[in-house]
This record gives sequence, structure tokens and C-alpha cells, in this order.
Amino acid sequence: MDQLNVKEQQEFQQIVEQKQMKDFMRLYSNLVSKCFDDCVNDFTSANLTTKESSCIMKCSEKFLKHSERVGQRFQEQK
Amino acid sequence: MSFLGFGGGQNAQPAGAINPAQIEMAVAELDMITDVFNRLVNSCHAKCISEKYHEPDLNKGEGVCIDRCTAKFFEVNKKVGERMQAMGGGAGGGTFQ
Repeated sequence: MDQLNVKEQQEFQQIVEQKQMKDFMRLYSNLVSKCFDDCVNDFTSANLTTKESSCIMKCSEKFLKHSERVGQRFQEQK
Repeated sequence: MSFLGFGGGQNAQPAGAINPAQIEMAVAELDMITDVFNRLVNSCHAKCISEKYHEPDLNKGEGVCIDRCTAKFFEVNKKVGERMQAMGGGAGGGTFQ
């Protein structure tokens, strides 16, 4: 990627930003599915129980920490 | 960081003109790296993170598991890449690392 000239780099940067937005939305919907599947199993009420809410909080926070750590290891690879 | 071995030589575009092929290659490289990363995150999450979610932080076991999982994933990536290169003379082979 470093053999791009200035103009090309600008263009590429724009593409990267669009992709980041898409990636973020994908992450969001994936996380909703994952945490919903893992935490919500009881449908005797239409509201999330405290237990479910706490599970979802931990699930999403843990996932972000997980991907952060994987990101660090990933960076070290190259 | 061009591990696909692109570039060099024909990028004689001086500052100013945009060579679409150059951009396309950079995007392909980015897409490939992103794809590897996403697969890595998903695989190691499935293998290392207990779905009991006792705590919001990674516990010790999970952390160690993630480190080993990523290391092994890269090793597998390399091994499979080498195998495929040996098989097909590396047709389009993007070996990682």
C-alpha cells in the first residue's frame, strides 16, 4: 500500500473510511445476534430480565476485549 | 506491507494521476487482511470464550487461549499456504506473513 502516490492515497483513504463504516455496522449486528443467542433464552416475559441484561453487558464487553487482544496479536504478526 | 508481492516497476505515475489498478490492488490487499482478521476473531471467540459470561473481562484462561489460538491460526494459515503453493505452483497464492 505504500507504493501509492498522494492522490491515490487520498482516494484509497476514502475507500477505507467507507469500509470502516460498513465494518462497524456488521460488527454491531453480529454482536447483537451473538449476545442475543447466548444470553436470551427465556420468553416468559417481553422484557429482558436483570440476569439477561447483565449477561448482555458482559457478552458485548468481553467480545470487544477479545477482538482488541486478537488485534494486538495480529499486529505483531507482520 | 505488500505481502502479495504487487507493485514495483510499473507504478510510474508521478504525483497527480490516479492509476485505478493501483487502487484496486490496495483494496484487494485490505479486503484480504480484513477477511483474515475477521475469521481469526470469530474462530478464536468460538473456541476460547465461554458463553457463560461470568465477568466482563477476559479471564486468565481466555487470554492465554486467545494468544495460543491466534498463534496456531497463523501457523495453519502458513502451512496450508505452503501446501497449496506446492500443489498448484502458487496460483494466486497470497501467503500470509
